Amino acid sequence: MTQALYLAIRSLWWHRGRSLILIASLALTIWLPLTVRLALRQFQDEIALRAGSTPLVLGAVGSRMDLALHALYFESRPPAVITMRDARAVDESQLAAAIPLHIRFRTQSRPGVDGVPIVGTSPEYFEFRGLQTAAGELPALLGECVLGSGYAERSGLKPGDALLSAPENALNLAGNYPLQLRVSGVLATSHSPDDFAVFTDVQTAWVIEGIGHGHQEITKETDPTLLMENASEQQGVTVNRGVLPYIEITDENRDSFHFHGDPDEFPLTAALVVPVSEKARVLLLGRYADTEGKVQCIQPPQVIAELLEMVFRIEQLVWICSLAAALVTLLLLGLVLSLSLRLRENEMQTMFRLGCSRLTIIQLQVAEVLLLLLAATGLAATGGWLTVLAAGNAIRALLF
Amino acid sequence: MIQIEQLRFSYRDSVFRLHIPELRIEDGQSVVLAGPSGSGKTTLLNLIAGILPADSGSIRIDNTCITQLQDPARRLFRLQQIGLVFQDFQLIDYLDVLDNVLLPCRIHPSVRLTQELRARAQELLDAVGIGQHSGRSIVRLSQGERQRAALCRALLLSPRLVLADEPTGNLDPGNSGRMVELMLAETKRAGATLMMVTHDHSLLSRFDRTIPFESFLEPRERVG
Repeated sequence: MTQALYLAIRSLWWHRGRSLILIASLALTIWLPLTVRLALRQFQDEIALRAGSTPLVLGAVGSRMDLALHALYFESRPPAVITMRDARAVDESQLAAAIPLHIRFRTQSRPGVDGVPIVGTSPEYFEFRGLQTAAGELPALLGECVLGSGYAERSGLKPGDALLSAPENALNLAGNYPLQLRVSGVLATSHSPDDFAVFTDVQTAWVIEGIGHGHQEITKETDPTLLMENASEQQGVTVNRGVLPYIEITDENRDSFHFHGDPDEFPLTAALVVPVSEKARVLLLGRYADTEGKVQCIQPPQVIAELLEMVFRIEQLVWICSLAAALVTLLLLGLVLSLSLRLRENEMQTMFRLGCSRLTIIQLQVAEVLLLLLAATGLAATGGWLTVLAAGNAIRALLF
Repeated sequence: MIQIEQLRFSYRDSVFRLHIPELRIEDGQSVVLAGPSGSGKTTLLNLIAGILPADSGSIRIDNTCITQLQDPARRLFRLQQIGLVFQDFQLIDYLDVLDNVLLPCRIHPSVRLTQELRARAQELLDAVGIGQHSGRSIVRLSQGERQRAALCRALLLSPRLVLADEPTGNLDPGNSGRMVELMLAETKRAGATLMMVTHDHSLLSRFDRTIPFESFLEPRERVG
C-alpha cells in the first residue's frame, strides 16, 4: 500500500487543481454540519451554564420563556412589571434573597456601536455572578455605572467617561429624558451576557425612567413663573413644566435628586431569587404556584431546557440538509472520479501491460479517494476547530 | 530460449487469424519482426508477454510455459522476466524520470524497491545519457530522451527478454538509428534477448535475425 500511496500522492499533486477543488468540496460538506454541531454545542453550554447558575427568577405572570430570557440574557421584555414590594416579600420570607433587576432602557447607539441594556440592580448582583472590576470601581453613587468588558472594548469607554441612556421611545416627546451616566469602572470579562451590558444602581434606573429626578430648588423667590400655585410656605410649592429636570447627575446636584411616590411600588422587570436551601427553593416555588397571582417564580434551568429542545429540533433539520448536501457531493465526487478514471485509462493500461497486479490497480484508485477524504476531513476538522475558536466571541455576541 | 509451437490466436468478432507452427529464438539473439501493418507482429509480442492469452499452442520462455500460467502468475512473470518498450513510450506524466524507470518496483507487491534498484536505475539513466535529468518531469524531456527513459524502465529488473513494439516509430531517421544502436548495445550488455517490431527496413541489417511475418498469417488474412 505504501507504493500505491506514493503514486497516489504524486498523481494528486500533478493534478493539484482538480485535487484542490475536490478536497475543498468535500471539506465544505464535512465542515458545515460539523461546525453547526460544534457551534450548537457551544450555544447549549453557554446558555445552559447561565441558566444552571440561576436557581429562580421572580417576575410578572406571562411567558416563562420571555421572563427567563429577560432576567438571564437581558433579552425581550416582560409585558408587565413587578414591584419592589414583591422583591422585599421574598427577602422577608427568609427563604431566599432577592436581587432586583430593572432592565427597560439601553445606552444610546454610537457610530459603529449599538446600544446595550442598562441593568439596574443591587451590589449583590455582582457578588452573585462572581463579577469583578478590571478597572475602576463598582457603582457606589447615584448616576454611576459599570460597563461590561465587551461593551467597554467596543465603545472605547473607560472609567471617568460618560454615556447617555436612550429614551424608551424616541417619538414620545413627553417621555423620559436621556440621562448621562458616569462610568465608574469596567468589569472583567466573564464570557456571559454581562459582558455586553451596563450596570447601574436600581435607583439610577428609576431616575432614567423618570420616577426620580433632580432639579433646581424652587422657592417663591427664585422664579415665580415656574410656580403653578402659590401655596403657603409650610405646604411647599408646586412647579409647572417649565422646570427642567437635570439630565446629568453630578456631585453638585446629586443631593437634589429625589423620588416621588411609595418606594414599595417602584417597578422592577424581574428579580433573581437565591434560596437559602433546597427546601426553601421548593417552598418558594409552592408559594408562587398560585395561577391567580400577578407574580410568578420560574426555574430557569427548566425553561431553558425547553428552549434548547426546540433548538435541537432545528439542528436535526440542519443535519438532514447537510446529509442531502453530502449525498450530492458524493455523487459529484463519484462522477469526477469516474471521468478521471476514463482519462487515466491509458495509464492503467500501461500498468497492466507492465505486469501490475490487480490488487495494486485497485489500491491505486482507493488510495487516491482515501487521500482526498483524509485531506478533506483534516481540513474540515481544522476549519471547524478554528471557526469555533475564532467565532467563540461571535457566537456569544450572537447569543447575548 | 523462446519456443513457440502450433500457436493460434484470433480476436473475437474479427477475421484476423494468427498461426505460428514453430518459432525458436536463441538466448541473447536480437530479432526483428518485419511485416506489413495488421500482420500480427504486435499481437505476437503481446502473446509472448502474456498480455493476450493464446487460443491454443504453447509459448515457452526457457523453462516457463507462458500459455499455461494463470493471469496473476503471467503478470508477475512479465514484470520480472520481460522488459517492454512501447511505440508511444507510455511513460507516466505525473512521475519524474527516475520514478518512471522505477515504476515496475511500485506496481507489484512481489517486487520490492531497494537501494540497489535505485542505484541501478540511475546507472541505466547515466548509461543512456540522461542521468542528469533523473529528477525532471518526464513531460519536459524530448522524444529521444523519453524513448531512452522507456528503455531504462524495460531493463531495470534485468529481464531475460526485451520486447520492443515499434520503438522508433515516432523518431526521425537519425534518432531512430541511434535508438536501435542503444537498444542493441544495452540488451547485449544485459545479456537479454531482444525482439523488436519495425516497419523500417533500413534497420534490419543491424539485427542478428529477421523474421518475415507474412508467413504466419492464415492464407485468407494475408495482406497483399
